[in-house]
Amino acid sequence: MISKNQALCILNSGLPTGADYAEIYIEEKDTFTVVVENGKVENSAISRSYGAGIRLLNKLQSVYGYTNEVNEKSLTKLIQNLANSFHEKQCIFLDKLVTKTAKNLSVVKQSYLNTDDNIIINFLKKGEKVMREFDKRIVRTQFTFSYSISKVQIASTKGINFLDQKERGRCGIMCVAADQGKIETGFEGPGASAGFEYFLNNVDIEALAKKTAEKTIMMLEAKECPSGKMPVIIGNGFGGTLFHEACGHPLEASMVSKNLSVFSGKVGQQIASPILSAIDDGTIPNGWGSNNIDDEGNKTEKTLLIENGILKDYLIDDFNGRRMGRKGNGACRRQSYKYEPTSRMSNTYICAGKSTPEEIIKATKFGLYAKSLAGGQVNPVTGEFNFGCSEAYLVRDGKICEPVRGASVIGTGPDILMKIDMIGNDLLRGQGMCGAASGFIPVDCGQPTIRVSEMTVGGNGGEIK
Amino acid sequence: MKLNEKKFFELAKANGFESADYALNESSSLSVSIFHGEVDSLTNNNSFSLVARGIYKGKMGSISVDHVDKDSPEFLVKEIKRAAQIIENDDPVFIFKGSEKYHKKNVSKNVDFSENIQEKVGILKEIEKKLLAYDKRINEVMSVGFESSSNAYKKTNSYGLKLSQKMNSYTYYVQLSAKQGEEIRTGFEVFASFDENEFNIDDFVKKAATNALEKLGSVQCSSKKYPVVLNPECVAALISTLIGSLDAEEIQKHTSLLEGKLNQQVLSKKLTVIENPLAKNLFFRYFDDEGVATNKKYLFKKGVVSTYLYTLQTAAKDKVSPTGNGYGSGSKAHADVGYVEVKGGKKSEEEIISEIKEGVYLTELTGLHAGMNAQSGNFSLQCAGFMIRDGKKCEPLALITVADNLLNVFNNIKCVANNNKLVIFNQMSCPSIYIKKMAISGK
Repeated sequence: MISKNQALCILNSGLPTGADYAEIYIEEKDTFTVVVENGKVENSAISRSYGAGIRLLNKLQSVYGYTNEVNEKSLTKLIQNLANSFHEKQCIFLDKLVTKTAKNLSVVKQSYLNTDDNIIINFLKKGEKVMREFDKRIVRTQFTFSYSISKVQIASTKGINFLDQKERGRCGIMCVAADQGKIETGFEGPGASAGFEYFLNNVDIEALAKKTAEKTIMMLEAKECPSGKMPVIIGNGFGGTLFHEACGHPLEASMVSKNLSVFSGKVGQQIASPILSAIDDGTIPNGWGSNNIDDEGNKTEKTLLIENGILKDYLIDDFNGRRMGRKGNGACRRQSYKYEPTSRMSNTYICAGKSTPEEIIKATKFGLYAKSLAGGQVNPVTGEFNFGCSEAYLVRDGKICEPVRGASVIGTGPDILMKIDMIGNDLLRGQGMCGAASGFIPVDCGQPTIRVSEMTVGGNGGEIK
Repeated sequence: MKLNEKKFFELAKANGFESADYALNESSSLSVSIFHGEVDSLTNNNSFSLVARGIYKGKMGSISVDHVDKDSPEFLVKEIKRAAQIIENDDPVFIFKGSEKYHKKNVSKNVDFSENIQEKVGILKEIEKKLLAYDKRINEVMSVGFESSSNAYKKTNSYGLKLSQKMNSYTYYVQLSAKQGEEIRTGFEVFASFDENEFNIDDFVKKAATNALEKLGSVQCSSKKYPVVLNPECVAALISTLIGSLDAEEIQKHTSLLEGKLNQQVLSKKLTVIENPLAKNLFFRYFDDEGVATNKKYLFKKGVVSTYLYTLQTAAKDKVSPTGNGYGSGSKAHADVGYVEVKGGKKSEEEIISEIKEGVYLTELTGLHAGMNAQSGNFSLQCAGFMIRDGKKCEPLALITVADNLLNVFNNIKCVANNNKLVIFNQMSCPSIYIKKMAISGK
């Protein structure tokens, strides 16, 4: 980290050629990963990252650079190099910087700094044993825990020198089962912006191991999913990947501001079923995708994106906000100092509805129940998206019937949003990693159980019978 | 900023390390992109990363850092020891003394980062202008950019092995959209080479424009099994996943669909896949991340599994020689490949398509990270392409899925085309391949 006065000098040395905004982002991050397989610690990895990224803006132009040499001399050289891209008169001067420490939204009770490696290892081993002994057909188990401790300094010509500190941890549970040439994989990945107390108090590792093993064995026995158009019920929690892909990405200012998104210019318009409301909330205490401040020093916010089907707002960073005549709403994120930040999601979810999950199943004559999703992908311009199912069943006459494997579901965001015809009251958030222009970042995808009246389901099980 | 190598190795020895090594990666890049005729983003980066490893009491510990200073040798040794001390796996670990022979070649060119960025901006503006003039249906050039990068990789260990390699590349990329009525389709094109002189603006513009325009008018086809021609990009995506099943660790842990299949005919005789990391191109590697010399070898020869891919550790477990496929930066290497060639056939793609009465020509497979089960080879993926009717490429298809199993697909090859193309994303040269039947789901 650098002193407030050093930051002030560096920022001012980037301004003489006309930059109207300058920002230094310094990050020091320690990460630790341990992997348990077959009852033993298989692998461990430790990394320390320390570097600084500098961004200069001039109207709609951005220049960015980063370095691992975090000192006044090196950062001044970098900012002056970047400033050489502009050729105008100086338009701002920074008089002073006020240091602020970001308010901690996620209380850490047991810091990873004070958590013995063996406490984590024993936690993993407890779950791994349950899974390994669950069924002979389980051929591989892998329990991983990763944590990061990071300190961030963001000094900019907004006049603030922000200091922030955060800890995140995530557990990865993988189960591979094989039988007669068939192989299936199951995965669960609870994570939080919290210390290890979160896992000790909230994650029943043995129960989760059993649930993952059961799911994997069941999918091993499942038939191939049939293909065709049908109603699709999507389970709560990480089922929120659907909304993340179909709607979340196209609501990011990086696409919206350039009029490249299917949802550009549609605030105030009905873009989804009237029963659907959705939120992106970067302020949820201990949320996996939460942050005290975003990566350009704005406070994170709870943003109502859609209310009763009407588009209310976008996810905006300051730079892309310039094209929209808007200021950022705390949605600017990046993987590390090596990435120029841009508008991204944090904890995004569909709000709870009125139906019970049982009512939704009961009201469906035939369809796919995609209980767990494996991840997805979207083209924000066309709105076309896909996601894979890690646990799915066919629904017949209002009842959950045989499990099916190898199901994928595709559609276009605007079309699917209008076709959501039932929303459950069982909102849950799941944790994942989202990859886009500013790198991989932790996000929550959440939703209650929902039903889409018709989607295209892909599978290798032939026609629907 | 340099690591005090002598001090690091001395400290490692004093702390009871059997051996130690470090890999250093230094890279520089300059990139610029424009939007609506103006520079939108410009980045200039110098990056450094170092991975240090050591064997302590028979266990391998490692740490990666992107910054070193005078205190680094002590810090690295302390953290490597911490990482090694918690490992319980009894598998043998190795810091490699060196291969008998390395095939080092110089494939890099000097990159001048002081080059006039304005000249590149001019080229990008010309690309944008030409694309918008190419066809009135091209309604937006979403991003057009240039990047030049250079990279120096060095590996040194306490046995005195010193290996190094320099690489550089130039990349032009563009993303655009085309509109017809209410329908919008996107297209993209990438050019990458270590020789910028190979870049041809008009050719690049034509490919990018065609990629977006030919998708306009997309429909869904009926759901059924069709004869399918996979274009080189689709072949590369599927072959990449299949190669992952050659990883000896997956074989040893019973999670590979190719377990017990070495030297057996598991795929069509028409399929031959060769790893050639020594080819003089962007992907040249003469040693892997463990320091083992790489070599040209068959992965699948006429459908027979020719080799598994070994790291030092998995090779020791199977009592075979390492294959030069140990990659990764942690304490445990994983198997991967360098540049790969799928051997082309004799017929042109047009000839192959001309033989199909009704079929599908696939040009895009998306969502592999979610829709592909790498262990079983089963997949169900979003895809796009064209209908084939009476031997001709007809209407474009979108929002369809294709589902099958990798072994099944590459066992059902009817014909391999002669149109090998470098697929940069997968580091692979591939031809189109005609598959007898695949399940397509649409309307």
